[in-house]
Amino acid sequence: MNREIWWLFLRKEVRDVRSNRQVWPAYLLLPAIAVLLPVLLLALLPLLADPSRAGGDPAVDLLIETVSRDSTLRGSTVTEKVARLLLRDLGVFYLLVGVILASGSAALALVREKEQRTLEPILATPLRDRELLLAKLFAAVGPAMLVAWGTTLAGSLAGAIVGRWRTGQWILPTAGNWVAWLLLGPALATFAALLGLRASARFTDVPGATQFTGLVVVPLALVVVAVVGRPAMASPLVGLAGAMAVGLLACWLFSGNVRRFRREEILTRWR
Amino acid sequence: MIEARALSRSFDGRPAIEGVSFHVPEGKLCALLGPNGAGKTTTIRVLLGLLPPTAGEANVAGYPVPGSEEDGARLRARTGLLTEAPGCYDRMSGRENLELFGRLYGMGSADLRTRGEYWLRKLELWEARDKPFGTWSKGMKQRLALIRAVLHEPQVLFLDEPTAGLDPGGARDVRDLIAEFRAEGRTILLCTHNLAEAEALADLVGILRRRMLAFGSLADLSSSQVRLEVELAAGAEGIAPALRMLPFVLECSVVGRTLHLLLADLRNDTPEVVRAIVAQDGLILSVHPARAALEEIYLRAVREGPA
Repeated sequence: MNREIWWLFLRKEVRDVRSNRQVWPAYLLLPAIAVLLPVLLLALLPLLADPSRAGGDPAVDLLIETVSRDSTLRGSTVTEKVARLLLRDLGVFYLLVGVILASGSAALALVREKEQRTLEPILATPLRDRELLLAKLFAAVGPAMLVAWGTTLAGSLAGAIVGRWRTGQWILPTAGNWVAWLLLGPALATFAALLGLRASARFTDVPGATQFTGLVVVPLALVVVAVVGRPAMASPLVGLAGAMAVGLLACWLFSGNVRRFRREEILTRWR
Repeated sequence: MIEARALSRSFDGRPAIEGVSFHVPEGKLCALLGPNGAGKTTTIRVLLGLLPPTAGEANVAGYPVPGSEEDGARLRARTGLLTEAPGCYDRMSGRENLELFGRLYGMGSADLRTRGEYWLRKLELWEARDKPFGTWSKGMKQRLALIRAVLHEPQVLFLDEPTAGLDPGGARDVRDLIAEFRAEGRTILLCTHNLAEAEALADLVGILRRRMLAFGSLADLSSSQVRLEVELAAGAEGIAPALRMLPFVLECSVVGRTLHLLLADLRNDTPEVVRAIVAQDGLILSVHPARAALEEIYLRAVREGPA
């Protein structure tokens, strides 16, 4: 496998994103929401986790009961425990950034080539199907993960600062958070990108591929994130197992994508 | 260098090409002519290994079609393709487009720099090399696409409608370049609607409409359809109906005082024609054979070929 091809496609995709203002909102808005949401919730912590309101508000009761039962949460006060719970579990949002950006980018990877009429010249080069799909996958997952990890760092820093303001303690990411972000995150983004690539190879136009991704691929990926992500945040072992399971799923999907990649179908069905 | 043997390709049971056979020797330019939907692009895609044939086989630059994935990759490394649309990335500059495709063809940095600069300067694109491709004129885009097709110095070139949509000046530039490629000894398959272009450039001509209706050198094709031109002193219009009644006269038209006749057997039927004209009191000034022009050969082949 010629890794240079990966970098070629990666540079091309990054250049495309930089010069295409239509995709900027997704790359800016999503990370901004992922950073601001935990910060906002922490800032409102006195309202959310006020022990004096216990017994009156069922939501506050439930929250206080949850943190009391969770033995993995450290902290001397209920407020601190709630803050730790929020920061730990809302780390799932950083996984979503990678998943959504990677699947969106992958969904356009092939269909946009067809629309620009660049796919046939690409297919006429010595590039093999596996190499093309790997390069496209790398170009979709790479930038998405860089943005996701940047968001994670910014969010964790902001969370720690606001957490200190609200609780007097530095609330840092747990080991489970790190395993999930560094291992499970790329696995989930790869899985979602492969689903997006599958859609991109089947659809004939950009709007069709985008709609399918928005309505089917992203929700499906979100279900996987919900199933694996939250438990992984609580336990590094669960995160590791989840990353391996999703990684295996992604390998299976990739080999399926290569098997189902039909040059003739792409060249003749797409007009 | 390009050999197709009974190639067929169907889409959903509908044949796009059927039993297409031809041979283009090394260093020759073959023009593939045919109306829209005749199967020219399909033929190129099958020969490049992009579409597997439903029947038949081919050999291009020494590699079999259909072949293994490895054969396909090696075949494509030795061939260059110019598609009807330029097929370059609008947001990338001309230089970046060449770099991307050159790398995909396995070129090294030094080769890319040297050959890229050579071709960009030669085709007068050097000044625009760092501007986004999307901002270029159609002629400039087509020239860059041609550079992309030859940058890796392929032995075989497939050119699909290279002058379509270009202004006369741009089309002439591209034609000159194709002539240069041929002079360099490359084997070229040129799909075109432009008969004058084919006549000017091609060593071999194939007329395709799903099947190969005619194939050979221009001289061979035109000698198979030699017309008889008979100049009369007067009254050509009056004599034509009698000639049209003769069973061996396939076509008869009149231009001024001259009868243009297509005969079943030129050598044997000419004396009969002369006798018939004299019998009609026609005064013959001259009788001579005339080779058919490519346009005539093409129209006749397409008219008589399968629908």
